[in-house]
Amino acid sequence: MAIVGQNSTLHSALNFFRVLVILVILVFIAFPVIWIISTSFSQRIDMFKLPPKLFSAFIIDNFRYVFTKMEIDSWIINSLIISIGTMGLSLLIGVPAGYAFSRINFRGKKVLLIMILLTRALPTIVLVMPFRIIMQSIGLLGTRTAVILIDTVYNAAFTFWLMSGIFESIPSDLEDSARIDGCNPVQAFLYIAVPLSKPGLVTSALFAFIFSWNDFLFALTLTSPDTTTLPLGMLSTFGIMQQGWTYMAAMGVIAIFPVILLSLMLQKYYISGLTFGGVK
Amino acid sequence: MTISSLLSIDRKKITLMWFLVPISVYMVVFFLYPVLYNVFIGFFELKLGRTPVFNGLANYKEMLSDTQFLGSLVTTLIFVSASVSIEVTFGMLIAFLLNHENRLMEFIRTFILIPTVFTPLVAGLVWKSLYHPDLGIITYYMRKMGIDIGRGLIVERSLALGSIVVVDVWEWTPLMVIIILAGLKSLPTEPYEAARIDGAGELPIFFRITLPLLKPTLLVALLIRSLDALKVFDIIWAITGGGPGTSTTVANLRIYEVGMNHLRIGYAAALSNVLLIIGVVVGVFLIKFIYKNERL
Repeated sequence: MAIVGQNSTLHSALNFFRVLVILVILVFIAFPVIWIISTSFSQRIDMFKLPPKLFSAFIIDNFRYVFTKMEIDSWIINSLIISIGTMGLSLLIGVPAGYAFSRINFRGKKVLLIMILLTRALPTIVLVMPFRIIMQSIGLLGTRTAVILIDTVYNAAFTFWLMSGIFESIPSDLEDSARIDGCNPVQAFLYIAVPLSKPGLVTSALFAFIFSWNDFLFALTLTSPDTTTLPLGMLSTFGIMQQGWTYMAAMGVIAIFPVILLSLMLQKYYISGLTFGGVK
Repeated sequence: MTISSLLSIDRKKITLMWFLVPISVYMVVFFLYPVLYNVFIGFFELKLGRTPVFNGLANYKEMLSDTQFLGSLVTTLIFVSASVSIEVTFGMLIAFLLNHENRLMEFIRTFILIPTVFTPLVAGLVWKSLYHPDLGIITYYMRKMGIDIGRGLIVERSLALGSIVVVDVWEWTPLMVIIILAGLKSLPTEPYEAARIDGAGELPIFFRITLPLLKPTLLVALLIRSLDALKVFDIIWAITGGGPGTSTTVANLRIYEVGMNHLRIGYAAALSNVLLIIGVVVGVFLIKFIYKNERL
């Protein structure tokens, strides 16, 4: 009995310790998120007061200000066009390729796979400099297309890799019997394999969107003032305004809102993408 | 097998080969070609608006005595090793804490993912404000607790890089937690049952069974995270811009400066080729490892 008692004290001590550690972690993670949200609703003047307060006022003037006094709407549109464009292009070239890769053997299969996987290893700065020169020479420097093209290098590769794994886990029996019934390979892909791979498609689309939406370096090097994206626009205003924290926070909330919402709504898919398909 | 079925297999293969054409062309044009072009112009003296001049290995020779670049490589190395080792260690500890099935844990697992989707530049600006030398909340309370942070966390050379590492840890530890949790869930149960029957304690079970079984997951997580940490740019750009002095100038920032501000494109290409080699070596190692241990 004594041993059991000792064990349970130890157990509850451990449990207490665990709860404590988890609480500390949660505060650490949540703090910047809470800060940006509360600051976006604060009065600018309160930012200069010491001690700093997390909650002071609740006003929506900052949002009104960034929407009326800044070009935030055009930044949002640019960001949206780039993100959706990347998403579409990545799926368009990545999904059929991932399918074919899982279904046939051919010479050079390994080379293709290595090239695809190496995109992840490639430091972004190595690609962006020559990309700039190439885009300039074909007259695309400063356009949204240039950003879509470079974002797609990374995202089509990710889509290809994820989808080839997904298609591999779908047996080809159904497609084979459809072929016997007169479907051609393209129809078998479109009407049988694609509908069965929906989770993979959602994951790929989600990741392409988040990647492009959050991108900064590519937009910094490849866009012009007309095609500025949201993070880039934020930085330029933040640079101009001394302590324009409340406006920065309002813009930041607008920037992070869609991606956080998407990742929470599609949590299962988001996690499966993060773990590279390891969690089904 | 009849001839017609053979033909149909062949037809399927030919059709599907076409599926691979767009991505192959795309990768050759927008990935392989720019990278090879980068390697190529690394051998040139290329400045904007002037004709390129072939200068062999001169760029690389210059690099060997370029203390600013070599210094930025060291900074990169410190940044990557510090943040990745902290992230993997914390990730593992937190994964063990969260490896229980109940609704609270489920909620926490969702919640901790927020930093990984947080736009990195926005994260940088938020932390910059928290670190502000006069008005930042973190600065204020650290001073209040009597911690000596000099003129401020991102103003003092000795503290700036560490402050950036904290942001990276905030951003990416959750990813490690999720990958390691996935690894923990896929562990076989038999060794644990056998060990319990033999009366083994929790600690020996952890060190003799869990850790060795988890090693492949940990290594993959470590390599993937290292490759991504090597790309760090946005948060540093937002928080310190590489300063104070050059204390947070990682190689990416230095290369950007040389290429975009000094417009020495050939030299910048040569410098970035060093990163290319590091990336490819780590990448090839990772690919070999993953494909030996099946796909993660």
